[in-house]
Amino acid sequence: MSKIIHGTYYLLLIIIAFLMLIPLIVMFSTSVKSDEFLILKDLGSMAAFWPGVPEWENYQQILGDPNMPFLRFLLNTLIIVFSIVFLGIGVNSMAAYALSRLKFRGKGLIIATVIALIIIPVESLVIPLLLLVNRLGWIDSYHVQIIPFIAHPFSIFLFYQFFNKIPKSLDDAAKVDGADFLQIYWRIILPMSLPVIVTVAILQGLEFWNSFLWPLMVTRGIEYRPISVALAQFFGRDPKVWGDIMAFTTLASLPLLVVYFVFQRWFIQSAIGSSIKG
Amino acid sequence: MYKKLIFFLIWISLVHSIHAAQTIQVWFHSGKGEERKVLNEQVKRFNQMQQEIHVNLILLPEGSYNDQVNAAALAKDLPDLLDFDGPYIANYVWSGFLRPLDKLVNKEIIEDLLPSIINQGTYPGDGRLYSIGTFDSGLALWGNKQLLKKGGVRIPTSTKDAWNLKEFEEALAKLASTPGVKWPLDLKLNYGRGEWFTYGFSPILQSMGGDLIDRKRWVPSGTLNSKASIEAMGLLQKWVKQGWVVNAASGDNKFYGDKSVGLSWVGHWMWQAHKKGLGDDLVLIPMPRFGSKAVTGMGSWNWGITKKSKHPKLAAKFLEFLLQPEEVLRMANANGAVPARLTSIDQSSLYQKGGPLHLFIEQLKTIAVPRPFHPAYPILTSVYAEAVDHILAGGNVEIELNKAVRKIVEDIEDNDGYPPFGK
Amino acid sequence: MPSQQPASLRNIESRAAWGMLAPAMTLLIIFIVVPFFLAFLLSLTNERLIPRPIPTKWTGIRNYIRVLTDPDFWQALRNTFWFTFFIVPVQSSIGLGLALLINRQFKGNHIFRGIYFLPTVVPMVMVAIIWAGLLQAPEGVINGILRQISFDQIGPYDWLHHEWLAMPTIMLMSTWQGVGFQMIIYLAGLQNIPKELYEAARIDGANLWQLFWFITLPLLRNTHIVVLITTTILAFKLFTQVEVLTQGGPLGATNSLVRYIYVAGFQYQKVGLAAAASVIFFLIVLAIALCQHHLIQTDKD
Repeated sequence: MSKIIHGTYYLLLIIIAFLMLIPLIVMFSTSVKSDEFLILKDLGSMAAFWPGVPEWENYQQILGDPNMPFLRFLLNTLIIVFSIVFLGIGVNSMAAYALSRLKFRGKGLIIATVIALIIIPVESLVIPLLLLVNRLGWIDSYHVQIIPFIAHPFSIFLFYQFFNKIPKSLDDAAKVDGADFLQIYWRIILPMSLPVIVTVAILQGLEFWNSFLWPLMVTRGIEYRPISVALAQFFGRDPKVWGDIMAFTTLASLPLLVVYFVFQRWFIQSAIGSSIKG
Repeated sequence: MYKKLIFFLIWISLVHSIHAAQTIQVWFHSGKGEERKVLNEQVKRFNQMQQEIHVNLILLPEGSYNDQVNAAALAKDLPDLLDFDGPYIANYVWSGFLRPLDKLVNKEIIEDLLPSIINQGTYPGDGRLYSIGTFDSGLALWGNKQLLKKGGVRIPTSTKDAWNLKEFEEALAKLASTPGVKWPLDLKLNYGRGEWFTYGFSPILQSMGGDLIDRKRWVPSGTLNSKASIEAMGLLQKWVKQGWVVNAASGDNKFYGDKSVGLSWVGHWMWQAHKKGLGDDLVLIPMPRFGSKAVTGMGSWNWGITKKSKHPKLAAKFLEFLLQPEEVLRMANANGAVPARLTSIDQSSLYQKGGPLHLFIEQLKTIAVPRPFHPAYPILTSVYAEAVDHILAGGNVEIELNKAVRKIVEDIEDNDGYPPFGK
Repeated sequence: MPSQQPASLRNIESRAAWGMLAPAMTLLIIFIVVPFFLAFLLSLTNERLIPRPIPTKWTGIRNYIRVLTDPDFWQALRNTFWFTFFIVPVQSSIGLGLALLINRQFKGNHIFRGIYFLPTVVPMVMVAIIWAGLLQAPEGVINGILRQISFDQIGPYDWLHHEWLAMPTIMLMSTWQGVGFQMIIYLAGLQNIPKELYEAARIDGANLWQLFWFITLPLLRNTHIVVLITTTILAFKLFTQVEVLTQGGPLGATNSLVRYIYVAGFQYQKVGLAAAASVIFFLIVLAIALCQHHLIQTDKD
C-alpha cells in the first residue's frame, strides 16, 4: 500500500474517532469549569473542547447535594442491573439447556414461543404490566425493577443456539459416569459457555442500565430510583446549570466506561458478534 | 433481681412510648430554592419544639410531581400530608384522596384566611374545605422602568388604569424599537410545557370572553374552542411571530440579568430575582384588559391531608404550625408570594398598602379567576398546555384548540361525566 | 423389564426438563404473556390508572376508534416509521463501513475499535443530555462549529425546537450512539468469511469493489438479517431521547408511538386508550417481523 493511501486511511480513522469522541470531550471539559457564564460562552466556540485548568467544584456540589444523592442512585442502578444479569444468566441458561438437550413433549412449541416473544417490545406492555405489579404491591421497590426482566427471550435464544453447538457426546460421557441433568448443565455445559455468558451479561446489562421508561413509572422517591431517571430529573430542573449537569453526567457514565475499558476485549472482540450473528 | 428487671423493662417501654414521636410523612414539591430552604427550616424547628410529632419531609421534583402523586395513589401509598397545585383539588377529592379540613384545622385560623385561599381550597362537590395554601399567587407584568421610559410607554399603577389590548401591543411595538431592548416581552417560555402555560395564559382567554371550560355545564366544546378563545390564543401566537417574545432557549435571566427585556409576564415567585437584578428600576404593572375586562390568575400550592392518613390530627397540627402568621410571613418573604393570612398581610412590608407588591392583593380582590374546579382538571391543564405549546410553535390555533377539546370530552366521557359534576 | 427402562428414563428426562424450564417459563408467562392478554382486555374498557369512585365499564371498540381517529396517534406512527426507515439502513451501512475499516490488521486497530464502540456503552439518557449541551441555541458547540466553518453564513439553528430539524437531529444523535452495535455484529460476520475466497478472487483479477460486491456482501447474508431485525425492533422503541430532549415537540414532530402510549396511559391515566394503542403497536411490530421474515424466506428461494 502506498504511503499516501496509508496516510489517508489513518486520517479517516482519526476523523471518525474524533467524531465519536467530541460529545464526550465536551461533557468532560464542561464539567470541570465552575463559571457558568464562561461555560455558556465556551459552548459556542472551540473552547468547549478544552477543559482549561480543571476545577472540581461542580463535582463537589453534585456529591454533596442531599436532595440528589448521587451515590444512592448509582447504587440502586448497580443493584438492579447486577441482579437482573446474575439471576438472568441462571434462569435463562437453565431453560435453554432444557430446550437444547432434553427430550420432552411440547418442546417445539416452547422454542417457537420463545422466539416469537423476542419481538414483543416490553414498551408495548408497560401499562398492563404497571397495573399487574401494582396488584402485587410492588411499586417503588428494587424487585419491581428486577423480577419482570430476569427471564429474557433473546438471552434464552442465544444460550439455546450456543448449547446446540456443544457436542452431545460430552453429555453422554457424563451420563455414563452417573451425572444427572442438573450436574451436566452445571459442571459441563456452563463452564464451556463463557463466551455466551459474557455476551448475554453485556447485552442484558446494557439494556437495563439504559432502562428509563419503566423506572420512570414505578419509582417515586430517592430510595429505589436508578441513576438514569435521577439524571433526567436533574436535567429537567430550571434554570439549567450546565457545569453541574455535565458533572452529573460524567459521574453517571464513569462506572460503565471504566468497566468498558477494563473488559474492552470482551465487549468488542467477536464475543458479542459471534454469538449474535446467528 | 428478676422483678427489678421487669420493672426496668416496663419503665423503659413507658418512657419510650412517651417520647416516641409519631412520624408523619409530608410531601413537598421541590420548586424554588428559597421555598425549599424555608420549609426545611420550618420542619426542623417544628420537630425540635415538640416531642409528639416527627415530621419526615420528602421533596419530590416539581416537573413530575402530579405523576408521582398518581403513582402513589395507585400504590395506596400517599403520605399523611402533601402539597399540590391548587386546581388539582377537585380531582383529588373526587378520587377520594383527601379528607375535609374544616373540622381538623383551628377555626380561628380558617377565619383569618384570605378569601381567595378559601375559594381555592373548597371542593364545589360538597362545599367543604379540603386544602389550604400558606400563600396565594400573584400574576402581573413586571417592567423595567428605565426601558419603558426610554420607549415612551405609559406605566399603569392600578387595575383601574390598566392597558387595553391596543395600548399593550403599542407598548410592545415601541419597546421593540427602543435601543437596548432585545425583546419587548418575556413570557417565561423557558419553563416549557406545564402548569405555567395554563396558569399564565388562560387569563388571556378569560379576558377576551373565552375560558378553558364552561363552568356551569362543565363542557369544553364551545368555550375552549369558541371564537373568543381562538382570538385570544391568536394574540399569543401573533406576539411570538412578531419576534416580541423571548424564545425558550434563551434562558431565564433576560429580564433581570441581561436587562434586555422591557416586560416580564410572570408570577410573584420571581420577586427576589427581579428585585436583586433591577433594584429601583423594577415596577409592577397590572394585567392588561385584552377584552372587556382584565383577568389574572390565582391559587398556588396547597396543603391537603390524605384520607388514608392514620394521624390526621397530627398532620393538621403541623399544618397549623405552618399557618401561624409569622411562619406564613417567613415563607411569603422568601418566595414573594401573597401571604395566606390577613394578619400576615398587614404585617408584610411587601404587601401592606403602599408595599411594592400590594398590586397583587388588589388584583386578587378584583380580577382574579381561579382555574376550573373540575375533576378533569389534570387532563384539562395538560391538553391546554400542549395546545399552547403547539400554538407558540406556529400551529393552527383552531385545530389545536379543537384537539384539546376532543381530549377533554373523551376524558369526561370515560369517567361517566365525573358524577356529581355535569349533572 | 428392559422395555420399561427407557420409558421411565424419558419420564425422568421430561420432569427434569420442565423443572429447569419452570423459572423462566413462569416469569415469561406472568410478565409477558399475561400483560399481553391484559392489554387486549383493558383496551375494551374505560379503565383509569388510579382508583376512582365509579366502576370500570366495557366500552367495546370505542378506544380503538379514538386512537385511529386521533391525528396525534397518526403523527406518532409516522414519526416512528420515519425514524425506523432512516435509522435501519443508515445505521446498518455505517456500521458495516466502520467494520470494514477496522477489520484490517494494522497498528492500533483495537484502539479505534474501542473508540468507535464507546458511545454505545453510554446510556441513552446521558447521551441525550450531552447532546442537549452540544445543540444549545444559539450558543452551542454545533452552532459554533457551523458558524466558524461557514464564516457566519450558516445558522444558528435551534435544532431541537425547529419543526423540520428536530427529528433529523434526534436521528443523528441516535445513530451516533447506536452504530457501534451494528459495527460489532458486522465485524464478527466479516471475520467468518474465509480469507481464501478473497485470495482466489484476487488471482482472478477482481478489484476491491468487486470483492466487496460479490464476496463480502453476499456472504454477510445472515449478518444482514440479524442486523435488520434487531435494529428495526430497537428503532421502534424510540422513547428515551425524545422524552428527555423534546417531550415529543415541537408540534409533535418527534412524538413516538411508545411516548404516545406513555402519555395516554401514565400521564393522562387513560389505561383503556393506552392499551388499545399498545395492541395496535404490537400488531404493527408483528406485521413488520412477518414481512421481514417473508422477505428473507423468498430471498432464500
